[in-house]
Amino acid sequence: MHSIKIYVFPAFTDDYSAHPGQIFPGLMERFRSLVEEAAFAIDPHLQSFDFQINNFLQDELRNQFITCLYSCAVSSLLREKFVIPQMSVGFSMGIYAAMVDSGAVSVRAALELIRMAFDSLKEGTLGIHCGMGAIIGLDRKDIEILINQNQLDVEISNQLAPFSFIVSGEYKNIERLLALSKEEGALHTRIFPVTLPYHALLLKSGAQAFAEKIRPIRIGIPANPIISVIDQAVLTTPEALRDELVRNLYHPLNWMATCQRLISQGRCEFIECGPSASLIKNARFVEGDYRFLSFNMAMRQ
Amino acid sequence: MAKITENTREEVAAIVRDFFAEECEVDKSMINDTTNIIKDLDGDSLMFLELIEIFKKKYNLDIELKVIGKYAVKHPVTTIGQLIDMQMLIIEHENRLLDLDNKN
Repeated sequence: MHSIKIYVFPAFTDDYSAHPGQIFPGLMERFRSLVEEAAFAIDPHLQSFDFQINNFLQDELRNQFITCLYSCAVSSLLREKFVIPQMSVGFSMGIYAAMVDSGAVSVRAALELIRMAFDSLKEGTLGIHCGMGAIIGLDRKDIEILINQNQLDVEISNQLAPFSFIVSGEYKNIERLLALSKEEGALHTRIFPVTLPYHALLLKSGAQAFAEKIRPIRIGIPANPIISVIDQAVLTTPEALRDELVRNLYHPLNWMATCQRLISQGRCEFIECGPSASLIKNARFVEGDYRFLSFNMAMRQ
Repeated sequence: MAKITENTREEVAAIVRDFFAEECEVDKSMINDTTNIIKDLDGDSLMFLELIEIFKKKYNLDIELKVIGKYAVKHPVTTIGQLIDMQMLIIEHENRLLDLDNKN
């Protein structure tokens, strides 16, 4: 039975233990070649990236660069193997790799966009200690009540599953919310190693500055539609993608709703274009006719 | 409320072991009561969540996740054996799980 193939691009990578570079010929070479080019054009420190120690785990800008480059290497190999997507989704900051894969921007432009976003958001939150965290085991209403009752400057910035959420905001408020969530009965909470509250209104002024900075960046027509994780819109034009890049920085996402919307269109096959299976883990709670494949699984089909 | 029989623990243990064997891609024979869920199997809280959903459906349980979360804070689970014991308590006591602490 025919299924809709959808590439999914992660934002950050905290674990390269499942990295299949030794298994699939060409992946390491392609990734290293992209890193070399990026080191020359964007950031010389990228050359020192090491899978074993994941030395950019605490460096959110370089983590994004490396994740983007890795995703680009993976998706280009998949395309060569004729695993061609009908559409793609960029999870959070994974949107840049999705745009490279679809041909809307070059790898170099994607890295420049990532850096412009990071710099703009940093400038926009100067003097505010921000962060993000995860709460597993409470529902949206439980979390909203905790936020409102304790007047915390925190937003739910993504819903991954019925009982799995990401929150963004001021760091001390994130810490407080996670502690309150544990008291309320959350099964698990954790702080992310990031310094920006991605997908929260706190970033609106930074996002507006970013919109100005990216005017000279050329964005082309994507070869396949890219699905918005904000409102599940189907993005097919350079203008829509440009708007999405800006909105993506300060609007809350809904990963669960995005999966549900895609699955409602027919049998789906999601392929995670990254080194781990973090998005696959979250997708298990979405009901419907679909498969979620890692790069490993997709290549072995 | 689910009826606990002498076979229930075996049934629960089999479901737990099958689940982790499949999720963590390890041989079922490698999983026993002393297996550490995080260190040995690289398990995570989402797996725990999924397992709870499986038992909720199988035994038609009336239990809120946050009741389990509150109980787990006081009674942390690290091994497969402890997880099976906790699932048995969940099946037996459902939303009254926290009353166990008040009785003790």
